[in-house]
Amino acid sequence: MDLIELSLLLFAVSLLAGVLGSLLGLGGGFVIVPVLSLALHLDIRLAIGTSIVAVAATSSAGAARNVGESITNLRVATFLAMATTIGAVTGALLSGVVDPRVLFTLFGLVLAFSGLQMLRSRGAAQNPSVGPDLAHVSAMRAKEPVLGDGSAKRKDRIAGRLALDSAYYDEAEEAQVPYVVANTGLGLGLMYLAGTVSGLLGIGSGVLKVPAMDIAMHIPMKVSTATSNLLIGLTAAASAVVYFARGDIDPLIAGPVAIGVLLGATQGSKLLRAIRADRLRVLFVVALMIVAVQMLWKGIS
Amino acid sequence: MGESLAYGALVPPSPHGVRAAVGRVLRLGVLASTGLLVSGYALGLVSDPGAFTSKAVERAHLLGKAPFPHSLSALWSGIGRGSGEAVIVAGVLVLILTPVAGLVTSAVAFVRRRDFLFGAIATGVLSVILGSFVIGWLTS
Repeated sequence: MDLIELSLLLFAVSLLAGVLGSLLGLGGGFVIVPVLSLALHLDIRLAIGTSIVAVAATSSAGAARNVGESITNLRVATFLAMATTIGAVTGALLSGVVDPRVLFTLFGLVLAFSGLQMLRSRGAAQNPSVGPDLAHVSAMRAKEPVLGDGSAKRKDRIAGRLALDSAYYDEAEEAQVPYVVANTGLGLGLMYLAGTVSGLLGIGSGVLKVPAMDIAMHIPMKVSTATSNLLIGLTAAASAVVYFARGDIDPLIAGPVAIGVLLGATQGSKLLRAIRADRLRVLFVVALMIVAVQMLWKGIS
Repeated sequence: MGESLAYGALVPPSPHGVRAAVGRVLRLGVLASTGLLVSGYALGLVSDPGAFTSKAVERAHLLGKAPFPHSLSALWSGIGRGSGEAVIVAGVLVLILTPVAGLVTSAVAFVRRRDFLFGAIATGVLSVILGSFVIGWLTS
């Protein structure tokens, strides 16, 4: 295979990784690393260095429009970034202390569990014809006047003080979707763990960040994936510098990947605005299960 | 911050100006790096077709000897020589730093809007990231 063919192949794979990454709030590493290391037999360090570049590309291109249009919650992202970045540093410092195989197994099991939880928690109890997120919204609208005159007590005071609640315009529902952020303390703790895992295993941990926002903090699915997308870029930047200095980022490999992911992620962020939230949730759980199998495989073999 | 306001009015609480500014910086970073990546490729194909058509897969096994620029000084001299590879590396670096540029922008914009709490949070996150840059650079 000469370089032109290789570049075209990398470009095509990255286009897909970019679309999925920015749609689902993941870095796209779960698509790129297996292709680079298993199909093309590239050195694993080079594969991971390239995937870090893909994460930065997904994050920037995905968030470029979604931040301005409030699909990405900038305040939630900034607040949670404290926990993810400190977690990433902890993970990097801890690496070498814990056996990565145990970690991969543990991580795979956690993912499988959160996948099941995501399908069960908000999908099942609600009216299927309305869809989980719309039902959530109408329930909130019913509460709105009560909360507005202050007669109901707010559950989460930190979210109130930091004004984390927001609203976004959902193109699929053709409606403004307001939401109230819950359990910020728990969310912060989970984000710290997610950051630690990504520092330890050298993977983006969007697969943990999205469920933490969706299940624990009650943030709508679209906002969760878009906000996770912005967050992973910040964590990736911190480690990407190390990979660059070590010589793990080969321009002839990372170049076509970056271009493909940038184009793909731009399309993915448009798709995110248009997709129905319940379909997004199912797609996310499928991706999460694929990552869970990859991680369990690494832990066992 | 009035809780009832955040609840009752359900106005997106992040002042639009901050989000717009961050979005602009991210778009700028994406455009700049795309430009560098594409022109680096074009430059490499024109000026150094030998390296650009060699078997890249074989080259990947040279890892550790890393025949491409991976320090700032090598990057500058490469760009000076008009090396396509070096321009691609510059594009990749711009891409990596784009989310950080977005964070810097939000820190400044929050402070300008007198939202000092979020200005401080963003600055704290920034210092953790810069700290890990330094640790990473020194230990690699």
